[in-house]
Amino acid sequence: MLVGDSGVGKTCLLVRFKDGAFLAGSFISTVGIDFRNKVLTVDGVKVKLQIWDTAGQERFRSVTHAYYRDAHALLLLYDVTNKASFDNIQAWLTEIHEYAQQDVVLMLLGNKVDSAQDRVVKREDGEKLAKEYGVPFMETSAKSGLNVDLAFTAIAKELKHRSMKLPNEPKFKLHDYVKKEVRGSGCCRS
Amino acid sequence: MAADVQAGRGGEEPGGGLAPGDGQHGERADSPTPGLAQGTEPGAGQEGAMFVHTRSYEDLTSPEDGGAAARSPEERRGEAAGPSSMEQISKDFSELSTQLTGMALDLEEEMRPGKEGKLEPAPQAARHDSVLSGKEEEDVTMDAWRMHRKHVFVLSEAGKPVYSRYGSEEALSSTMGVMMALVSFLEADKNAIRSIHADGYKVVFVRRSPLVLVAVARTRQSEQEIAHELLYIYYQILSLLTWTQLNHIFQQKQNYDLRRLLAGSERITDNLLDLMAHDPSFLMGAVRCLPLAASVRDAVSTSLQQAKAKSLVFSILLSGNQLVSLVRKKDQFLHPIDLHLLFNLISSSSSFREGEAWTPICLPKFNSSGFFHAHISYLEQEMDLCLLLVSTDREDFFTVSDCKRRFQERLRRRGVHHALQEALRTPFYSVAQVGIPDLRHFIYKSKSSGLFTSPEIEAPYVREEEKERLLGLYQYLHSRAHNSSRPLKNIYFTGPRENLLAWVTSAFELYICYSPLGTKAGAISAVNKLMKWIRKEEDRLFILTPQTY
Repeated sequence: MLVGDSGVGKTCLLVRFKDGAFLAGSFISTVGIDFRNKVLTVDGVKVKLQIWDTAGQERFRSVTHAYYRDAHALLLLYDVTNKASFDNIQAWLTEIHEYAQQDVVLMLLGNKVDSAQDRVVKREDGEKLAKEYGVPFMETSAKSGLNVDLAFTAIAKELKHRSMKLPNEPKFKLHDYVKKEVRGSGCCRS
Repeated sequence: MAADVQAGRGGEEPGGGLAPGDGQHGERADSPTPGLAQGTEPGAGQEGAMFVHTRSYEDLTSPEDGGAAARSPEERRGEAAGPSSMEQISKDFSELSTQLTGMALDLEEEMRPGKEGKLEPAPQAARHDSVLSGKEEEDVTMDAWRMHRKHVFVLSEAGKPVYSRYGSEEALSSTMGVMMALVSFLEADKNAIRSIHADGYKVVFVRRSPLVLVAVARTRQSEQEIAHELLYIYYQILSLLTWTQLNHIFQQKQNYDLRRLLAGSERITDNLLDLMAHDPSFLMGAVRCLPLAASVRDAVSTSLQQAKAKSLVFSILLSGNQLVSLVRKKDQFLHPIDLHLLFNLISSSSSFREGEAWTPICLPKFNSSGFFHAHISYLEQEMDLCLLLVSTDREDFFTVSDCKRRFQERLRRRGVHHALQEALRTPFYSVAQVGIPDLRHFIYKSKSSGLFTSPEIEAPYVREEEKERLLGLYQYLHSRAHNSSRPLKNIYFTGPRENLLAWVTSAFELYICYSPLGTKAGAISAVNKLMKWIRKEEDRLFILTPQTY
């Protein structure tokens, strides 16, 4: 399930992942919640992701709340060019804590890193916040495609490991996987 | 240009009526074919209607709504003004506004011939909502902003901007303050402002506490019709919030900024205003059906009926803004206004094209205090066929989603998929099919079913402005026919570019547009022929057997 303030790019992130395209042009806000399927192959196993794309606006909160508890994983987004969306992350986390399952897989994403000039939230700020709450973090761009597949694949891997629970397989470590695979937004970053 | 108008109530008519002998007979004799009482006119459902029975927009100005508009807040709070004096005031006002309407019509006559092209800039001011950079709105100090044909503003009683069709609300906050001052000024005198007519403009006020809706229009519409459109905007806002929530919010905090709750819905409201300027559905207060062979429609309806769930209230299949099928719970009727709001919601966003959407929606004419939950999805990506399942249960997404799957399965099994696809290829029929050479276009509404039919708008109405001009003419005839103080039954209108004829009976409404070279006698015989054609085609053009679960 994709959550976060209105306009942070939840739908664009999903469309980039699902269809490999970027929804350019005018902003179309999602109405209510939007349900889509995508089948991924993770380590040779097919994983069907049922993805809820939610509307960020306040008036849809009651519907999103109703579907939190069915979610196995949550992608929480903010927009690196919008400080308010970052400041609201705490409120979102509180809400998630209240409504979602205890063991829900959670990941924090700072989207729109392609707009380098407009950036107001530093990567370090995102990292710090994520560390504070113990959630994996990465910066993404639905426009360039940076880390988009990785975010969903990492979630899929984690969910696959959880549901299969093979005894002699080493435990999948989402944090480590993300740290290893994540790519920076600038050319000078490692 | 002349408008040959006949006031027709009972036998007052001076004769020379449109239909031979019309006005001398009872209402049943209104039609050329015998026995066209309400319920038997072409397009009337055989097993009752699927909509709440409405009398076009009179319904909107019925005491329930209209009374509230004329009332001052003092009265609503039950402090002052006995009902009798209030009645007197509102009566005075309705008389006053008729006088003004008369004046404005004269003005319009002056404005009308051929000047429109010059006066109007293209009504293009596409809105690009961007959360980041704020809306790229027009500069409200520019002439282009002033030249828009119809402005619509919504504000709260505290004078706070809620919505503006053009330009940003912030830039208009002082303008809206003035509007609220006008409203309050008259209310202080226990009066209510309804409209201002000046310089070819109509400024129309609709008061629906806690909101005030204002239109500034240079269109040919009557005050009544503009108010009707404003009410649609009000209902659109209710459909997002419910009446209960809206009132609750403003009771808690009078100066609440409602834009916060309505964020992202501007596009829906913009779309509704654009749609009302193009689609006669809103004017007619009725719903248009996709032309479809009765056998195919029945198969679709049966499939829809069988794919039911406990929480489902309405299952609606639509294409463009035309109804393909509607199945409802027994004893539950949808109001055409609610259906129009649903149509508008779907046409205003491309985000329904993929996936399955699940959203709370209030159907204000059905129940303005609560939300339904609507499942919205297109059957196939390339096909313009949208399924709308209205449920009472917020938690029921998966059950309702399964209904969709079952419906598609049944559709496939019945083998109507192909026929449906075929029908979607020609969603509109040509007026040439009627076989009346001078006939250019028509709108026919069956009052008992709340459905109407109309051919595609063809040459010479090719350009958008031309289409809008035609709809404007229909609007004009409609407003004359439905003028609350002086309704008309027959109107014959000759213009430089076309002739029009309107005929309103208790069973149906018919508006036809034909060649400017045609004669009145020709028009009357065309009407007879057209009515026969509609009767012959009625099972394709209308839904005659509405289904329930």
